[in-house]
Amino acid sequence: MERTAEAILTDGRRLPYVIKDDPPRGGMKYTYFAPDRSYVVQFFNDPKNAADPNLRKRIEAIIGKYNPTLSEEEGGARGGTKAAADYFAGKFCWPFAIVQSPEFGIVCPAYPSDFLFSDNASIYPQMSKDLKGKDKKSKWFTSEKLRQIMKERELGDFRSMLCISINLARAVRRMHSAGLAHSDLSCNNVLIDPISGGCVVIDIDSLVVPGIYPPEVIGTSGYIAPEVLTTLGLPFGDPKRNLPNARTDLHALAVLIYEYLLFRHPLSGPKIYSKDPDEDEYLSKGEKALFIENPYDRSNRPPDLAITISDLGRSLESLFLRAFVDGLHCPDERPTAMEWEKALVGAFDLLHPCENPNCAAGWFILHDPAKPVCPFCGTKVRPENIVRFHLKSRMRGSPGQWKEAGVINVYHNMPLFKWHIYSDVFPDEKADRSMAAYVCRVNGEFLLVNRSVHSMRSPGGNIVPPGQAIRLKDGAVFLMSDEETGCLCEVSCGR
Amino acid sequence: MSDFNRRLPVYLLLDCSGSMMGEPIEAVRQGIKTLLSELRSDPQALETAYLSVITFDSSARQIVPLTELMNFKEPQISAGGATAMGEALMVLMDCINSEVRKSSETHKGDWRPLVFILTDGSPTDTERFNTAAGELKNAKIANIIACAAGANARTEYLKRITESVLMMNTLSAGDLSRFFAWVSGSVKMSSKSLDAKPGAAFELPPPPQGFVIVP
Repeated sequence: MERTAEAILTDGRRLPYVIKDDPPRGGMKYTYFAPDRSYVVQFFNDPKNAADPNLRKRIEAIIGKYNPTLSEEEGGARGGTKAAADYFAGKFCWPFAIVQSPEFGIVCPAYPSDFLFSDNASIYPQMSKDLKGKDKKSKWFTSEKLRQIMKERELGDFRSMLCISINLARAVRRMHSAGLAHSDLSCNNVLIDPISGGCVVIDIDSLVVPGIYPPEVIGTSGYIAPEVLTTLGLPFGDPKRNLPNARTDLHALAVLIYEYLLFRHPLSGPKIYSKDPDEDEYLSKGEKALFIENPYDRSNRPPDLAITISDLGRSLESLFLRAFVDGLHCPDERPTAMEWEKALVGAFDLLHPCENPNCAAGWFILHDPAKPVCPFCGTKVRPENIVRFHLKSRMRGSPGQWKEAGVINVYHNMPLFKWHIYSDVFPDEKADRSMAAYVCRVNGEFLLVNRSVHSMRSPGGNIVPPGQAIRLKDGAVFLMSDEETGCLCEVSCGR
Repeated sequence: MSDFNRRLPVYLLLDCSGSMMGEPIEAVRQGIKTLLSELRSDPQALETAYLSVITFDSSARQIVPLTELMNFKEPQISAGGATAMGEALMVLMDCINSEVRKSSETHKGDWRPLVFILTDGSPTDTERFNTAAGELKNAKIANIIACAAGANARTEYLKRITESVLMMNTLSAGDLSRFFAWVSGSVKMSSKSLDAKPGAAFELPPPPQGFVIVP
């Protein structure tokens, strides 16, 4: 039975929603949809929650002054521009209104359709029917067992999983920079679309908000930080009890990134801590948690680990070691979301398309040109296909002096953006995402084609106007742009 | 890579005695269908839960062995005969013994099985029932939830098997479908909160409307 009801918001607006028997129910709330499914109205399972003044205060702050999906002008986060707010509106399912009647609740945007399964997602017809319209929880794409039942096109490739990781790190960085913590980041609360490389963080109502009494959430199995799990038995108000906060988010973030890139859980290995399964699980994710790739203690290492963090390049490897070795039991050692964002973006610039058309990963990080082999399928890159840009930026105050500004691995049909051209542009929410130039291969020769860069210079020093190209020869040096922040580019080929 | 995930074994013990004939048994068939479709669309349940069905009438048998949800085929069930619930418990214990992997020093075993018993009457093999129920309760080998459906179900028997007994007033299709929806919610919840503090109370979603927890 369905009927339409009306939610009265705290600002007096009225929004219709459709009441159904047995609405979808999560751990905290149940959900009704708008007649056109463009938003959802959610109420709390437990009337105690709905009556809790701290929860109300928290939600008011989340919807108002801490809201990164609204510009400062519209009553959202301080310093937030319209463009940044629009950018983050696509990364979060952020609640936008409070319902006061028929009872306390919240209104959120519906999940964008990219994050819902469409027809024929599975190789099994019955499974496809069961999946249709369901949200794309991360787990569908990170469990080897579940990946096997999906159609290949749903799974994306290594590049799209890396892209999802960047988007998630950026979203968490934005929350943390405002002092917020999500407190329950998990495979259920991050929806991903491996086809487009997008992700959206959901369940924004149990955030930890500065100065407001924290929510009573624990988190989701597999993503709870060891220090939180270890003190779970203490009462909520006990000072020794560790509650979710930004540092515990950083544990969950690292677990999710590890899962997106390697399709396995960083702490689930062969080591056994107790004969009782509950006790064993509790210890293996808590007090005794041990990274399966810990280089000093290999007792939890699976015997058949083919691809490891060392295949992801030095910066990601060192962040994973900090997250799961140094920082596993020392929350302050964990890499920040900003560090993840930077390292992931750096890794993205080293992507190389695998030359094996049947490689399931499709892409890999070519971090060491001396060993140009796809770790997923073992295919070697031919030397003539390796072209790299070594970027350098001007040292301020020392004219003529340049410092390292990163390496880009280029390939046929690769777009370049402003952050590849200028040393002061970082690919964050503020960046211009229109193509600045691209690399292509014509008759066996690699070219850099200028699209919109002002004053790009050829190796000989001539202006390369938009539409014109530079031949990419080994050892060639040129200015991406001769503006103050333009990078100097040195080309290396086959090495 | 090797799989270090534990399985969550789920056993359904379904009363198929004569009194279930007609609408109730049809509702049970529908219930299993919905349960499967619900669990298959939950990634954690699909990854960890394995399902088995044991039915009982004048005797008891396992009609579907513990099977991965992906490969689970809906069983043919029909109603008729007496209520050999005691034998069903014996079958359950045998199945748990042979199908559920135990943990050892070197091997990760399965999670503690989750057992749902649905009956609309009381056991007709009382002697066997008393022995089996006592044994099962003492062995603590599973988390068992028993549901007494309709006016003739006797909760005092179920209390001998487990502390978690639910009662629903009717055997209507609506109530039975709510029961299966609740089973699906319970399995989903169990497959997500498997590392809550050991020894803590076993948590299930609140029972559906119209259902009473028997104290």
